[in-house]
Amino acid sequence: MATYTVKLRQQRQLDRDRLLSILGRFSVHLALMFFGLSCLVPLLLILSASFTDEVALTRNGYSLIPSEFSTEAYQAIFRNPTVILRAYGVTLFTTIVGTLTSLTLMSLLAYVLSRPEFVLRKPLSFFVFFTMLFSGGLVPFYILMTQYLRVQDTFFALLLPNLVSAFYVLILRTYFVALPSELLDAARVDGASELRIFISIAVPLARPALATVGLFVALNYWNDWSTSLYFIRDPDLYPLQYLLYIIRSNAEAMQLQSAVGTISTGQMPTQTARMAMAVLATGPGAVFFLFFQRYLIRGVTLGAFK
Amino acid sequence: MKSGLSRRSFLKVMGSSAAVGGFTLSGLSGISRAFAAHRFQGVPTLSYIFPGAPQPDVARVVEALNAYMAERIGATIDLRAIEWGTFDTQISLINASAEPYDLVFTAPWINNYYNNISQEYLAPLEGLLPELAPGYWASLTPATWEAARVAGHIYGAPNQQIFVKPFGPNIRTDLLEAIGLSDEFQALTSWDQLDPIMAAINEYVQTDDILTHVTYNLAQVVTPEAWNYDPQDFGLAVKGSDASAQVVIFSETDEYRQAAELIRQWYVAGYSPSDQTLLAEMDQAWTAGLYGLRMADIVKPGGEAETAARWGHAVTAKAISQPMLTTGGVTATMYGLSSISPNPELSVKFLELVNTDPVFYNTLCKGIEGVHWEWADEERLLIKPAGDAASFADTGYSPNTDWMFGNVFNSYYTDESQVGAWPLTAELNRTAMPSPVLGFTFDRSAVETEISSISAAMGEFSAPVNQGFIDPAEGITLLNQALRDAGIEAVRDEMQSQIDAWKAANA
Repeated sequence: MATYTVKLRQQRQLDRDRLLSILGRFSVHLALMFFGLSCLVPLLLILSASFTDEVALTRNGYSLIPSEFSTEAYQAIFRNPTVILRAYGVTLFTTIVGTLTSLTLMSLLAYVLSRPEFVLRKPLSFFVFFTMLFSGGLVPFYILMTQYLRVQDTFFALLLPNLVSAFYVLILRTYFVALPSELLDAARVDGASELRIFISIAVPLARPALATVGLFVALNYWNDWSTSLYFIRDPDLYPLQYLLYIIRSNAEAMQLQSAVGTISTGQMPTQTARMAMAVLATGPGAVFFLFFQRYLIRGVTLGAFK
Repeated sequence: MKSGLSRRSFLKVMGSSAAVGGFTLSGLSGISRAFAAHRFQGVPTLSYIFPGAPQPDVARVVEALNAYMAERIGATIDLRAIEWGTFDTQISLINASAEPYDLVFTAPWINNYYNNISQEYLAPLEGLLPELAPGYWASLTPATWEAARVAGHIYGAPNQQIFVKPFGPNIRTDLLEAIGLSDEFQALTSWDQLDPIMAAINEYVQTDDILTHVTYNLAQVVTPEAWNYDPQDFGLAVKGSDASAQVVIFSETDEYRQAAELIRQWYVAGYSPSDQTLLAEMDQAWTAGLYGLRMADIVKPGGEAETAARWGHAVTAKAISQPMLTTGGVTATMYGLSSISPNPELSVKFLELVNTDPVFYNTLCKGIEGVHWEWADEERLLIKPAGDAASFADTGYSPNTDWMFGNVFNSYYTDESQVGAWPLTAELNRTAMPSPVLGFTFDRSAVETEISSISAAMGEFSAPVNQGFIDPAEGITLLNQALRDAGIEAVRDEMQSQIDAWKAANA
C-alpha cells in the first residue's frame, strides 16, 4: 500500500513534469510562430499586392490573397526592362566582385593579426579596433571619396565603402587564432612560405568563418543604397536597392512639389508596380540566403563554443 | 625574410590588378566626358545643379546649349540633375564639403533658401544683376526682387512663373456635366457656395460603380491663401487686405472657424473617406477615379491642362480666393549663386541668357528642335513631340519642369488649351494685390524653442479639425489652447515687432 502511494506520487510528479514541459514548449513555439508570422506577413502582403489589380487595390486595400488577380504590374515593368535589368547587373557585379575582394583583403589582414610572431600585430590591431570606436563622419568621408580619391560615379564608389569592416576582421582574426599552431608549424617545417601556409592551410580551415562573413558582406553590398545616394548620379550605375529608394523618395518629393503648386516631373509609378519592384529586388536575395543558410547557422554559433 | 618577400609580391599583384580594374571601370565614363569637353577647350564650364530625373538624351542637348552659350557669353554648361528624392541629401553634402559649383536651385521647400543664407552658401546678387543681367533685372518688378531679399541682400534669382496663388476647387469635367451645374460652378465666389454642388455629386456617387466619395483631403480648404491670408510659418498669418500688417493666429480667425465648420459639415455628410490613409495613396485613388473633386488647388491660366496631364482626368477649376503676391509665391522657384563659385560674373550672364532668350531657354526645357520637338503652329508658339513620338516623354529629353529653369512666360506651349496662358499669367502677377508683408522674412532665432513646441502642438491638434474628425467648437478651443501653451503669442509678438521694424525701414 505504502509503495503504491509512493509510486502513485511519483507518477503524478512525472505527469506534472511532462505537462509543464509540454506547456513550456508549446508557449515557446507559439511565441516563435508569432514572431515568424510577424516577419512573413509583410512580405506576403507585398507579394499579394504586386499581383493585385491597381483599382482593386486602391478600393479594397491590402489583403493576403489578391482581391482581383492581375499580372499587369509585372508586365508594365518588363515592357521596358532595361532599367531594372541594368540595376540588377550593377548590383550583381558589385556584390560578387565586392564580396570576393572584401574577403581576400579581410582574411589577409585578419590572418596577419592572428599571428603572434608578427611584429606590428599590436599597433595594427589597435589601428583596426580604433576605427570601430571613432569614425570621421559623413562629410569628411564624402570629401575623401569625391575630392581625393575622385571615385564618384564609378564602380569604385560602390565597392570601396564596404570593402573592409573592422568588426568582420576581428571575427576572422578570432577564428584564425583558434587554429592549432602545430599545423602551421608543421607546414613551415615542410618548407611552405607564409603565403603558401595562408592559402593552403589557414584559408581552407577557416571556410565556415569566411562563408559567414562573406554572407554578411554580400548582404551589405546587396542591400546598400546609401553609398549610391552620396556618390552616384549616373543612372546607368544605379544599383537595385537605390533604384527602389529613388522611386519611393521621388514619389514623396513630388508630393512636396504639389504642395507648392507646381507640376510633377512625370507619372508616378502605380502602387502595384512599386510592390512588384520590391518583390523583384528582394526575391533573389532571399534565395541566396536559403542557399547559404547552413554556413550561416554554423558560423554564427562558432563563437559560442570557444 | 622569405615571408616578407612573398607578402610584398602578393601585395604587388593585388595592387596592379586593382589598378587595371580601376582603369577599365572609370575609363569608360571618363573617355566620353573628355570627348564632350574637347570642342570648347579653354572655355569655362558653369556647374548648374537642379532637381530632376536624369534625361537619356541630355548629352546632345548640352552640346547644343554649349554651342549657343560659348558664342554669346563665353562659357559652357554642366547640367547636374539630381533625383528629386535625393536632392536635399546630396546638395547638403556638396555644400558641407565645399565642393565648388556655380548655380543651384533653391527655395523654401527644397534646398532651403534661408538655411543656405544662414550657412553662407550663397552669394549676394544685387551688385551683379543690374549690370550683367540688365534684361532679366528689368523683367521683374521691384516688389518681386524685394521678396527675395533677406537681411538687405538678394541671394536668389526668381524664375518668373505664377507668383500668385488663387485657390479654388478642381472638379472632374465629366461629373460637372453629368450633374448639370456648370453655371453654378463658374459662379462660385465663396467656399460655402460649394455645398449644393457637392450634394449633387454625392447623389451621383451613390449611383456610380467606381466613384466612392465626393472628395478627399478636406484639409486643403483651411489653406490660409484660400481665405486671402498671407501665411507666415507656425500657424501665423497676415490678412491680405490689412495694410497695417497685424499678425494673427490663423486658427483664431473667423475664416478658420468658417472653414472648419464647412469641413465638419462635409465630413459628417460622408463626402470624404473616413479612413485616413496616406495622402499619396489617396492621390492615387483620385487618379484611379474614386473621387469627384479636389478641394483647393492653385487655379491659374492653363492650369486645367496641367492638372489633367498630371492626374489623368479633364478638370474644370474655379478660383475662389483673390490673387495675392506673397513672399512665398516669389521664392518658390529661384536660383542661387554659390558663395565659392569660380565664375560669378559668367553665372549671372547665364541667368540673363536663360531668362531672356527664348531659343536658349526652350532648348534647355524642351530639347532640340527637330530632334525632340517640332512646331505644330509656329505663329502661336505651339509645339508637338518630334517625328512619330507619341508624347514628349518618349523623345529622350523631357524634363517637363519649365518653371525650374527660368522665365516660363518664354516657354513654348505644349498643349492647345495652354495657348495664350502666359500673357494672362504675367498680367495676374503684375496686377495682383501685393501682400502687406511682401518681402518680409522672419528671423526665428529668438523664438526657436517656442517654434518646436508649436509645431508639435500643430501636429497633434490641427489635423482632427482640418479633416473634420471632431466638432470644430471643441477642436478649435483645444487647438488654440495648445498653441497658446506652446508659446505662440510670444512668436506672434516677436514677428509683429520684426514686421513693424521692417515696415519702418522700408517706408
